[in-house]
Amino acid sequence: MNDINSFLSRLNSIINFSTILPKIILIVGLITIVITDLVNKGKNANFLYKIFLISTLVSMGILFYQLISVIAFEDLYTNNTFNNLFRFFILICSFISVLLSVDYVLCSKISLVEFPLFKISAGLGGMILSCATNLITIYVSLEFLALSSCFLSGYTKRDIRSNEASMKFLLMSGASSSSLLNDFSLLYGFSDGQVQLDNIIDKILFSQYIPIICISAAFILAGTAFKLSLFPFHQWTPDVYEGSPTPVVAFFSVTSKVAALCLFTRLFRLIFPYLSNEWHIVVELLAISSMILGNLIVVTQRSFKRMLAYSSISQIGYVMIGILAADLENGYASMITYRFIYIFMNLGTFARITPFSLRTGSDNIKDYAGLYMKDPVLTFSLVLCLLSLGGIPPLSGFFGKLYLFWHGWKAGLYLSVTVALVTSVISIFYYLKIIKLMLTKTTNLVDTLKTYENQKSLVSSIISTKLKSSVEMAMILCALASTLSGLFMDPIIKITRNTFF
Amino acid sequence: MNLSELIHEFILALIEPGILVGSIGTVSFINTANSAFSLGLVFTCISLLYFALNADFIAAAQLLVYVGAINVLIVFAVMIIDQSVSSDSEKHGIGYFTALGACSILFLTIVCIFHKLNDFYSSSIHQSEYLKLNLFEQNDVQNIGYQLLNKFLVPFELASLLLLVALVGAINPARDEDEGKDIAENKKKSFVSSTSPRDKSSFF
Repeated sequence: MNDINSFLSRLNSIINFSTILPKIILIVGLITIVITDLVNKGKNANFLYKIFLISTLVSMGILFYQLISVIAFEDLYTNNTFNNLFRFFILICSFISVLLSVDYVLCSKISLVEFPLFKISAGLGGMILSCATNLITIYVSLEFLALSSCFLSGYTKRDIRSNEASMKFLLMSGASSSSLLNDFSLLYGFSDGQVQLDNIIDKILFSQYIPIICISAAFILAGTAFKLSLFPFHQWTPDVYEGSPTPVVAFFSVTSKVAALCLFTRLFRLIFPYLSNEWHIVVELLAISSMILGNLIVVTQRSFKRMLAYSSISQIGYVMIGILAADLENGYASMITYRFIYIFMNLGTFARITPFSLRTGSDNIKDYAGLYMKDPVLTFSLVLCLLSLGGIPPLSGFFGKLYLFWHGWKAGLYLSVTVALVTSVISIFYYLKIIKLMLTKTTNLVDTLKTYENQKSLVSSIISTKLKSSVEMAMILCALASTLSGLFMDPIIKITRNTFF
Repeated sequence: MNLSELIHEFILALIEPGILVGSIGTVSFINTANSAFSLGLVFTCISLLYFALNADFIAAAQLLVYVGAINVLIVFAVMIIDQSVSSDSEKHGIGYFTALGACSILFLTIVCIFHKLNDFYSSSIHQSEYLKLNLFEQNDVQNIGYQLLNKFLVPFELASLLLLVALVGAINPARDEDEGKDIAENKKKSFVSSTSPRDKSSFF
């Protein structure tokens, strides 16, 4: 009994002691995938995905355990709740999006191995970005994330739209990280050679160098707003979303945005506390324009993925309100809660689009007409997720938005909250339009839906069982999370509360 | 000026025309291979400049990275394209004059800044402070290695993983198609045996 106790306490101290243990597990998973594929010479793809899922699950478990117990750590990164929450989110995103992507990759007959490799590396980059407090670590992990996402988006190399998407993503992410690097060099120079973020704010004499600080704030904004697809930097989003393979878009739209949010919040909060008024105004302007632009253009879209791209632009506008409304007692609770719910809503929607596009090969919204008759489960879960995105009670999207807007109103951002409410109504209109299209019975079915049933019977029963298992799991998970999280709002808010730093 | 300063000035006077000639050559040679090679001349002269400024690590890094890797890549790409003469006519359109104006303004700005800095730093107070710093006996490489493995361990290891992923990602689109089809067929066969334990309840 004594031995077990001492063993457990030693294990406890090991797990507690190492903040980077989840990342090490991911790295081990990455290397195992490469070596396994090398050894197996291309067979047994199932095993590779299992490795990925197991490593993600183990990291999640360890991270969860660390979330509960509070630890202090060293120079390279700190271990406060903010970081841990974001890392946890990124792991959840990776996990669910890999569940979505298994059958897509199999059915489209592209090579299977590199896919989990790139996903692990993007997840790893995101995780390190979430807890980096060092200019160099921030830059390297940002590049890691961007590069892996770029490879993922160009994965279906025979599709020309995929090539276009990855070219655009590469060029724009290169331009934005060069702007970010320019800013980092300014900060490094003016703080007399400090690379740690805490030391930088100690050493910069804010009163003396105000024009330079403003310029560097502008550069950081340009660099990070690209990843977040805020208003003037959003041009890459629809093209990249439309061109990349669907499970990759699912992964992007949550993981890189979560990581970029963490970076944005940390940089602006830590480095520019004296400039709060100025950058608040600018971010508010950007948020308002993203919301208006995203929700207005979404009405004219004919492709589902483009529509989701524009809706994600407007969602970022809402989240920006959450960042601006952060104060001492509540921290960034509203933003983080909304982000958490958004992950499930978005991944749920993609979990429905993926099998649909696999079975009919089309992405047009008009082809969803009358889906209710062919596939009631898909329709019903898609309805749930779309309504949650729009913000209809009692689904969780409503509670997230409510909390966000209430916080914003309390913090005095009256204009933004009003604009957000109006644009939410516009987005509800659009989502309901799609839902109506799906649920109504049309006498003459669209051609693609006629082939829907045929394809389902032609696909061999083994593949369709596989299709049923993992995507179904992801679908159910996301549907449950997006409906029930609203009821469990209070504990979530409590956890996300002490995240002000 | 004493002898060491004279030698220093002489070396600088040798290196700088090399940079100038190389960069003019890069821009104005018609044969692209010639311009790629003169780019190599520019990089080499820059690294010699670093040697003259007593920054040994950066000079070595410049030689290895820029001349040894980047320039070789550029020459390789130029050779593959195999377009020996680029047919440019000498039209001085509006873009030419805009670029000329912008570049000359930038150049004048840099010259003014350097003049002002020169006046500022050549006062005797600063020179004595610099001599106190004792820059000549530092061991750059050792310092950098120490910092890389202590303070900047995480970005260092992450950069090595980044290289791995970049390699895989670069080979992935360029790979041969037939391998993909065989692999997919093999995997389909392996599914027949392996999906029966994974058979979840049929949802439809």
